[in-house]
Amino acid sequence: MMVHEDYKEMIPARALSALDAAEDRVLNEHLENCSECRKELEEWQATAATLAMVADPVEPSPELRERILSEVRKELSTPEVIPFRSTSRNIWRSFGSLGAMAAVVLFTALIVGLVVLWRENREINEKLAVANEFVQLATTPGAKVSELKGIDLGSGATATLAYDKTGHAILIANKLPSVPQGKAYQLWFIVGKNPPMPGKTFSPDSGGKGVLKEQMPKEAVDSAIFAITLEPERGSIVPTSPIYLRSFEVN
Amino acid sequence: MELLKAIAARDEAALAQLYDRYRAILFGLLMRILNNREEAEDVLQEVFLQVWRKAEDFDEERGRPFTWLVTLGRSRGIDRLRTLASRERVAEAGARDAVEEISDAASDAFKSEQRGLVNKALAQLPDEQKRPLMLAYFDGLTQSEIATRLGAPLGTVKTRMRTGLMNLRELLAGQGESFGF
Repeated sequence: MMVHEDYKEMIPARALSALDAAEDRVLNEHLENCSECRKELEEWQATAATLAMVADPVEPSPELRERILSEVRKELSTPEVIPFRSTSRNIWRSFGSLGAMAAVVLFTALIVGLVVLWRENREINEKLAVANEFVQLATTPGAKVSELKGIDLGSGATATLAYDKTGHAILIANKLPSVPQGKAYQLWFIVGKNPPMPGKTFSPDSGGKGVLKEQMPKEAVDSAIFAITLEPERGSIVPTSPIYLRSFEVN
Repeated sequence: MELLKAIAARDEAALAQLYDRYRAILFGLLMRILNNREEAEDVLQEVFLQVWRKAEDFDEERGRPFTWLVTLGRSRGIDRLRTLASRERVAEAGARDAVEEISDAASDAFKSEQRGLVNKALAQLPDEQKRPLMLAYFDGLTQSEIATRLGAPLGTVKTRMRTGLMNLRELLAGQGESFGF
């Protein structure tokens, strides 16, 4: 039975992300409920961060700055509610009376409300479209459906994977734990005793629901176990976390 | 920190300013981890885009911006290193070979005085404590992997790593304000 002091001893290694997977999992569970240890971890992380100073500073290529800012501009130009902020300043200046101001507030609220409704409607439509696509795929002649169940850290989560003979697949997952910054779930195909083959990554929404469209490797279409792990957002070529969900029967 | 608040409010110029301030320290760190310019630049881009998207997550009560940025950068770098599934370094390649690329330390937030203090503190640590710290921080090795690499018992590695980091903290404790970034 571990006591508080045992966890505290693990914290410096955790700040260096040097704990082995099992210890890391145990400490993470403790950290969720112990603010004292969370505070201590932050202090050790500050010490660990000073090690970055051992590396010589190096200049990246001058083009990188523009590449990053160009990506940012692209995101800024994506139609969101945000543009209202900049245009509203000019509108405020052009109206003198309180009545006109109130009208602008009401008008803006109406537009924002409409945008929110439109987005919600679009999200519902997108979900319905995926559900339809899933049903169509699952009912295609020769198609298979495999159930995945959450284990350990993924306990309580469920997922269903439907795929046809060509390997076109759709995964719908529910009750997934939220993912930390920079991480995403990744699907794996395990055929016989071969190393797991990586699939795509996906992130769950705030309700723990995740959807993934995938083209399966040919080898996995006939016989495979499916598993889901937590990986860096870009995906891994080998699993680096414990299994969150898996199928229990070879398809 | 004002810059991060401005970034959270979608201020592109603030992101450019943050980049100018931290690019050399973060890129130096990523080069040390990955020893490959292309990979390091790719990860640096990911890091700043993540800063752009997640700046509102920064909580100044939970640490300094420097710690947040370096922890984020190092974590992304180690993730990439593991993804590449190769810890082979190309000897003498990369930053340490290209003297002209080494940033003028006085031009960014990474002041040479502070680097000197950290290097001085590390120099006071016994090698048996310093090596586990370096292997964990820059090579992303776990304690078990370090034990295998050094041919030392796991328990010994755990003790040395903990003691090493504690000693480093104590040695730097007197310099608290110097690390205020």
